Amino acid sequence: MTAGDVVLVIEDETAMRRFLAQALGSHGFKVIEAGTCAQAVALATEARPAVILLDLGLPDGDGLELLRTLREWSTTPVIVLSARDREDDKVQALDAGADDYLTKPFGVSELLARIRVALRHARAQTVTEDPVIAIGPIRIDQARHEVTVAEAPVHLTPIEFRLLAFLARHAGKVLTHRQLLHEVWGPRSTQHTQYLRVHMAALRKKLETDPARPRWLTTEPGVGYRLRDE
Amino acid sequence: MVAALPSPRPTWRGYVFAAAVVAAATLVGLAASQHASLADEAMLYSLAIVVAAHAGRGPGLLAAGLSVLAFDFVFVEPRGTLAVADTRFVFTFVVMFVVGAAIGTLTVRLKRREREAMEAQLRARTEEVRSSLLSAVSHDLRTPLAVITGMATTLRETAGDAQQEGLDTIVEEAERLSRILQNLLAATKVDGGAAPRREWVPVEELVGAALQRLDDALQGRAVRVDIADDALAHLDPVLGELLIGNLVDNAAKHTPAGTPIDVRVRREGAAAILEVADRGPGVRAGDEQRVFEKFFRSQHAARAGVGLGLAVCRGIALAHGGTIEVEARPGGGAVFRVRIPDGEPLPALDAPPALAAEAAR
Repeated sequence: MTAGDVVLVIEDETAMRRFLAQALGSHGFKVIEAGTCAQAVALATEARPAVILLDLGLPDGDGLELLRTLREWSTTPVIVLSARDREDDKVQALDAGADDYLTKPFGVSELLARIRVALRHARAQTVTEDPVIAIGPIRIDQARHEVTVAEAPVHLTPIEFRLLAFLARHAGKVLTHRQLLHEVWGPRSTQHTQYLRVHMAALRKKLETDPARPRWLTTEPGVGYRLRDE
Repeated sequence: MVAALPSPRPTWRGYVFAAAVVAAATLVGLAASQHASLADEAMLYSLAIVVAAHAGRGPGLLAAGLSVLAFDFVFVEPRGTLAVADTRFVFTFVVMFVVGAAIGTLTVRLKRREREAMEAQLRARTEEVRSSLLSAVSHDLRTPLAVITGMATTLRETAGDAQQEGLDTIVEEAERLSRILQNLLAATKVDGGAAPRREWVPVEELVGAALQRLDDALQGRAVRVDIADDALAHLDPVLGELLIGNLVDNAAKHTPAGTPIDVRVRREGAAAILEVADRGPGVRAGDEQRVFEKFFRSQHAARAGVGLGLAVCRGIALAHGGTIEVEARPGGGAVFRVRIPDGEPLPALDAPPALAAEAAR
């Protein structure tokens, strides 16, 4: 991350805004704050933030509506802040173009990790993609369709390879069931979550030392999966 | 006005009421007899039957019968007897009784519909109030919790060693409070009768997610996982993760640090069996049922709880048509066993041909 990156915080609770401003400020970010949707739209246009943190429970309008409005003209990464029992809200927000989410309560390290990933992906869009992606001990050669774990070759089925490659291109980011199904099985298959789950289980078995306690391919219950990259 | 909500089973008061209404109709009819025809008197009795039917079907029928008798006795020649001079009136009586009975039945049905609609409306409103209250409370509690966790972790970054431990405790306790809140919300959701969203899920995935969420709370405790043949369960994945997490958290809370926790999963017939076993002091004899009650607290918890975790587990098991039980573990400790029966036949594990073909393109 670059010093001086602007983070727009859209949050109605003053105390929460104060925490985010202090935490991000001490890590070199410039924080601007909006307490309402109207303010948020104005600030997002004027200040050109590098990342937007959006609380889904805004008082003067739906956070989801705001997200859809933003996505009409902006590709700025958006990380939504939401409560634990609000899985449906998170999935809706992610499918509507949010980049990631944080479940309240969260700590500073989690917050910074999410922002780091969002910034990296936003910047990588302009760079030519390397066909080889390395994450921890996992190495994925997209051109040759080869995968190794700690140098040892691993045989993956075509579906497993496509799943892994898609997750790896978005390493660190959560991907919803719908996004994964759409990418791997096609647009008409977004309801078949059970196949996705079974193939993810197979993939964990091949890549993880302890598949019941995955280090890399983690599950976000009710939302989707994430390939961790740190 | 008759009672707004007549009881479905009329009491003797209903029958007395029906008799009184017919008597009143007779008196009114007598008073007006100078100006009224026999048809008018018959109409008056119809009105009486409608009114009496408000007290129920029985009183309605009684009113119909009494009306025929009173009409004959008081108004039809020869008056003062039940004898009938003109046989055409027998037909009138039959029509009067049948119409009266029909009106009574319709009135009762209408009343019942009205009552059902009102009850449904009341239930919907109660559910609405309950869920909006809960989301308001949870929002109001979550925000301060999020600020506490956030601020404490911010301070922890620059704090000296002396403060580190205190800040760690603040973060841990805030997380614990957040778990309690989650269970409180889950308890109301499950008790409220919201149907679980069942899907076929590899149980391993739920165990992995639960252990990841509890990572801090488990403090490096050894959790051994044994899942037979990639067992699938047909359950709501969010509730399933909470169920497993609560059982593991409960075991960690009630057993000495350093003792292992075992999570075992297998399929048995058309059901998935989840077991969480520990090497703690076990459940006291006689408490095997009570541990699943809300707000039950055991004597030997290392960390105090509110007594919701296991109650939520039972709620989740029941919501899936399943069972939960605890028994002594051979060699010491307790085994919690949950059985989640399949809600539909186990599907083929591989993608259907159409999907596979598309994936191979």
